[in-house]
Amino acid sequence: MLVGIPLEQSNSAVKPKECAGEMSEYIVAVAEKRCKKSFARVFGYFAPRLRSYALKQMGNEALAMELVQDTMSNVWQKAHLFNAEKGSPSTWIFTIARNIRFDMLRKLQNRKEDVCSDDLWPVLCEQTADANETSLDEQITLEQIGFLFEALPVKQKAVIEAIYIDGKSQQEVADELEIPLGTVKSRTRLALQRLKGMLNSHD
Amino acid sequence: MIKFHPSPEQLSQFAEGTLYAVESIMVSAHCDMCERCQKRVAAETERLAEDVLETQKIEHHYEFDTMLAGITQLPAAESIRALPVERTQAIELDGRTFPLPRTLQRLADKTGNWSSLVGRLWQAPVDLGNQGVANFIYMEKGGSVPEHTHRGTEFTLVINGEFSDGLNAYDSGDFIFMDGEKTHAPRSDAPEGCLVFSIVDQPLHFTSGLARLINPFSHLFFR
Repeated sequence: MLVGIPLEQSNSAVKPKECAGEMSEYIVAVAEKRCKKSFARVFGYFAPRLRSYALKQMGNEALAMELVQDTMSNVWQKAHLFNAEKGSPSTWIFTIARNIRFDMLRKLQNRKEDVCSDDLWPVLCEQTADANETSLDEQITLEQIGFLFEALPVKQKAVIEAIYIDGKSQQEVADELEIPLGTVKSRTRLALQRLKGMLNSHD
Repeated sequence: MIKFHPSPEQLSQFAEGTLYAVESIMVSAHCDMCERCQKRVAAETERLAEDVLETQKIEHHYEFDTMLAGITQLPAAESIRALPVERTQAIELDGRTFPLPRTLQRLADKTGNWSSLVGRLWQAPVDLGNQGVANFIYMEKGGSVPEHTHRGTEFTLVINGEFSDGLNAYDSGDFIFMDGEKTHAPRSDAPEGCLVFSIVDQPLHFTSGLARLINPFSHLFFR
C-alpha cells in the first residue's frame, strides 16, 4: 500500500441520491480547501461505480481504469466548477465521465477532432456554461432600458443611439449632428442620468 | 413556435452519449434553441446518472489507492474565466446577421465559402472530417428545391426563418428528420428567407454517386 489515505468502502449500499448532500459538501471542500480527505470520500464512493459503468461501456479493463482516472482527475482539478444548484454530484460526475468516454471512443475510432464532447455538452467549460445565461436581473434591466430609452427626449435619444448602439465616438456624433462636442457630452450625461433615475424609480 | 423535436429515444441516447456524433450535433443544436428539449435532456441525464452509478456490486480495485494518491498530487486547474473563447457567433449573409446556436459556433469556424446554387439557394459546406459534409443553406424568398426523396438519413435544423416542403411548414428551431420513406420539395416563401443547417448521417453514401440525392439542398443534386 502506497498511500496514507484509506479508501472508504463502507458506503457501498448507499444510493447516489441518498448521499448527494454529503458528497456536495466534500466537493465544495475540495474546491475551497483542496481537502484530500474529502476527495478520498468522493473517490471512494464514485471510483468503483465509474469503473463498473466504464467496464460495461468499454468492455476493457485498461480503458475502464483510464476513464475512472480521467474523470476523477477532473473532479479533483475542477471541483470549483461544480454547482450544487445546477445538479447533484452524481449527475455532474456522470456527465464528466460520459464526455470523456465519448472523446475516448472517437479517438479509438481514429476520428479527427471533428466533433468533441465540449461542443455537445459543455460540462467543464467555464465560459460557455454561462455565456448564454444572462442573469434574470440583467434581462429585466435590458428590457427596461429598451423601454425607457423610448421615453428619452428626441435629442438625447439620438446621441445615445449613435454612441451606444452604433458605436460612434462623441466627436463623430458632434460632426454628424453639427453640434459642439460639449453639447454631445452634456446630452450623453443627461440621458444617462435620466435613464438611471428612471431605472431606480422602477424598482 | 417549435413544432418538430427529436424523438424521446434520440434525446435519451444523446444524454447517454450513445447517439451518433453527427446526430448528436443536430440534437444538441436543437436543444440550444429549444427549452423543452433542454429540460428533457437534463431530466434524462439526471435519471441516467442515478441509474448508472447506482451499482449493486461494488468492487474495490487494487489500483485505486495508487490512483487516488496520484490524482491528489495534481494541481488545481487554473480558472480561465477571464479569457473568452473567440468563436463565430453569427453568420453574416445578405446584409443580415444570423446568430448561431452554441453547438454550431465552433463548426462555423470551419465553414467554407458561400456559393450560389440554382433556385435562389446559397450553400456553405462545413467540413466534418470523415463524418461527411454538413451544409449551411440559405434560401432566399422563393428559393426552392425540386421534389426528391432520400437515400440515407438527413437532418435539418432551421436556424432562422421559415420554409415548407409540401409535407409541413417549418419555423426556427424545428428539427427535421428525413429518410427514404419520404418525398419532399422544400421551398421558402418567407420574405426574410431561411437559414438552415443540414447534415447527412451516411458519409460513405454521400460521396458515392447515388447518394448525391441524399442531401436535398446539395449542389451535387443539381448537376
